[in-house]
Amino acid sequence: MHIENYLNVIDACRFCFMCRHLDPVGNVTFREADTPRGRALMCDRIRMDAANLSNPDYIDAFYRSALSAANRFHCVSDYDETGLVLAVRRDIVEADLAPAAVKALAKTLEKDAFSVKGKGNALYFGPTPELYKGCAVITGGDPGKALAVLGFEAASKKVFARFKKAVTDSGCKTLIVAEPSAFEFLHDRLPDVKVIHSAAYFVEQGMNKTGSRKAVYLESDFLKNYCGNPSAPRDLLKQLGYKLVPFGTNVEESYAVGEGAVVYDTLYPTLAERLCQRVYDLAEGLGKTRFITASQTVKDTLKKYNPAFDVITLEEAVALSQD
Amino acid sequence: MTPKNYLYEMIRSELTWVVGDEYVQANEADNLGHSIDYYWVPECWHDRGERPTPPDLVVYPGNTQEVAAILKIANTHNIPVTPWGGGSGSQGGALPIYGGIVLDMKRMNKVIEIDPVTMCVTAEAGINAQHLEWEVEKAGFSTMHLPASISCATLGGFIAHRGTGVLSTKYGKIEDMIMSLEVVTPTGEIINTLPVPRHASGPSLTELFLGSEGTLGVVTKAVMKIHPIPAARKFHAYLFETMHDAMVAGSQLMISRMRPAVIRLYDEASTARVIKRVLNIDRKGAYLVFGFDGPEKIVDLEMEEACKICERTSKEDLGTEAGQSWWKNRYKFFYPPYMFQLPQAFGTLDTVATFANIENVYWAMKNVVKENFPQAAFIGHFSHWYDWGCMLYARFIIEEPPQDPNEAVALYNRIWDMAIRAAIREGGVINEHHGVGLKLGRIMRDLYGPAFNVLESLKKVLDPNNIMNPGKMGFPGKGV
Ligand SMILES: Cc1cc2nc3c(=O)[nH]c(=O)nc-3n(C[C@H](O)[C@H](O)[C@H](O)COP(=O)(O)OP(=O)(O)OC[C@H]3O[C@@H](n4cnc5c(N)ncnc54)[C@H](O)[C@@H]3O)c2cc1C
Ligand code: SF4
Repeated sequence: MHIENYLNVIDACRFCFMCRHLDPVGNVTFREADTPRGRALMCDRIRMDAANLSNPDYIDAFYRSALSAANRFHCVSDYDETGLVLAVRRDIVEADLAPAAVKALAKTLEKDAFSVKGKGNALYFGPTPELYKGCAVITGGDPGKALAVLGFEAASKKVFARFKKAVTDSGCKTLIVAEPSAFEFLHDRLPDVKVIHSAAYFVEQGMNKTGSRKAVYLESDFLKNYCGNPSAPRDLLKQLGYKLVPFGTNVEESYAVGEGAVVYDTLYPTLAERLCQRVYDLAEGLGKTRFITASQTVKDTLKKYNPAFDVITLEEAVALSQD
Repeated sequence: MTPKNYLYEMIRSELTWVVGDEYVQANEADNLGHSIDYYWVPECWHDRGERPTPPDLVVYPGNTQEVAAILKIANTHNIPVTPWGGGSGSQGGALPIYGGIVLDMKRMNKVIEIDPVTMCVTAEAGINAQHLEWEVEKAGFSTMHLPASISCATLGGFIAHRGTGVLSTKYGKIEDMIMSLEVVTPTGEIINTLPVPRHASGPSLTELFLGSEGTLGVVTKAVMKIHPIPAARKFHAYLFETMHDAMVAGSQLMISRMRPAVIRLYDEASTARVIKRVLNIDRKGAYLVFGFDGPEKIVDLEMEEACKICERTSKEDLGTEAGQSWWKNRYKFFYPPYMFQLPQAFGTLDTVATFANIENVYWAMKNVVKENFPQAAFIGHFSHWYDWGCMLYARFIIEEPPQDPNEAVALYNRIWDMAIRAAIREGGVINEHHGVGLKLGRIMRDLYGPAFNVLESLKKVLDPNNIMNPGKMGFPGKGV
């Protein structure tokens, strides 16, 4: 079983309470099963008796996790609780125990195919190709990250192989990726290609300051907790003239409304809405402050439950500066 | 109760009418989490493949009225109700040992008001202590309640166990921080204690519920003092040849009537084991750290005076850096792998005594463990200091406890019985800030003597059906 690679995490987390305050789902469901300790205890039961893998309550709890990795980021010993959840999801899938909704979603994701349009030294992957003059563009769905997060490792590899082939065939040596989940997935998988996040690309280009406006940069789970918290998104917004104001009560919690689980809103819309509600509530004291996120998915989720919420993506911030 | 029993469904339906379907859970994922708190015994039980007793239902009230309605239902059906905060209690207080309802308080997590005039915050009792502190800090203040479990325990849990934070020596324990409480009594009445903590209008009801561990009612709301963020907070550490030399310095610091925010004194064994591991300070002797906070000039003056006191008996001035490092890493001690964890058996034998008695208490505990349980290591530090004495945070650790769970728990209980009774003989008490719970209930009558009848009578009057957390704090159980 894959969880056997995480026995140290099970041993550490099963009786540890030290990062439960940072579990975004636990903070809205209040359930013990939605904490790193709760999940490690269930994994421990599975370790003791594999029959527990088929427990539907356990399975639901594992899929309910938002995988923000805020817990891992907080942990003084860096125990990979996120890795443990991903491992148990793989075990669930390999035992053909994934919930029907997860299986159905995986079936759709498996079909993702990719094509490249245009020519250029760099290849852009994301929703706003018009911003990347002189770049070729790769389109298609998710490059395999969503499947990997759901535990469908083999299918993820297949989709990624298609993505990789399209990149290789394009001949481009630089790939610019907009969505943080895709960036995290791709950044070390394409050995001959330099993978950069769009924020870094724009910072390198140098942006013109266009006015000054207060904004909240809504931290990305993937950029902050998975990719070492690069300064590019904040640098970019500063270049654009935004004055960043702190959000929430602390810098540790994830306000990324399920970004770490990639397809959270599709599988758990009620919980995604609650994660959004937390952001709306905290935003109340900030007046007309604009929110800026690196992730189109985060933006879409926040807009879905409150269309009036003023949130744009980093790329939209760039586009606005060029208007 | 079992889900197969139609009465179970009758009660579940009644509860869902109060809180909604989603907030009455009876699934195995949550039950597992709620059957194990931070008490070593259920952890060991789980580790050995056994299943600690789960609740029949976990209910998440959203407000005080819902708590009252739930308790009324529980009274009607005579079902045990065990409040659960963060589950971080080390005494088994939140364990549903007779099944029934676990009343998970975490949904009651709102800060209701921050009053900068009186300097207090009103909050619901299920709020996570770190979340509370963050909100108060955002308003420019601090609760100054900074326990090692700040990230996991709730305000109600701290009130229930008379918990304490790292700055207690200056800012007090939770009982010194609370102004007033809202409580739902076991029969479902909502009451408020008087709005100020000091008065001569009869005995203090607030005090009655502080430390009552969910046996006398459910704390739903609390008004707590808040403080300005100090301009300066500074630390300094010294090494002493022996724990006794350090104790002389620590007690003199308190007797000088200065107000250190913190003093921690680690005995020789924990200096060698814990301070070395966590702070990387590798010295023989007893490590003592202290700190002051407030206006910088005053802090500097106090630091200077405190250093003079320590220099009288210390063997090495470890400097401010070794003190700051302790502050910076103060929570690190509690994360794996720095914290003891299974397969080790370990227990925190915490007690408190006067300066006249505290060293005798330490030696009595240490000797009893050493003589009777040669397989156990004993370490200790003194962490919360008063004008009149201090708290001993002693630990026993067994590297390889028996595999058989019953044998392991029997050994564990024997150590507690002997060590705590030895402490009581020398003027100590059962506990200083972790509470009694399931772990130490059996010793309550010995500690209190006839005075325990007073507590028992109060329990009977407030909770005639004995639904609230039965079998804890030495009060009767429900029958298995
Ligand atoms: C790593 C770690 C470090 C710790 N460090 C400290 C420390 O520095 N200082 C300290 O004091 N403690 C410490 N503790 C112990 C623990 O955090 C405290 O005992 C705390 O008070 C428990 O709070 P909780 O919310 O987790 O309560 P729980 O464990 O859920 O419950 C404890 C008791 O309180 C009752 N209860 C809970 N909520 C309510 C309520 N609203 N009304 C009535 N009764 C209620 C329960 O029934 C139970 O009897 C530590 C624990 C851990 C895990
Ligand atoms: S990730 Fe670290 S802090 Fe969180 S439960 Fe695991 S060991 Fe504890």
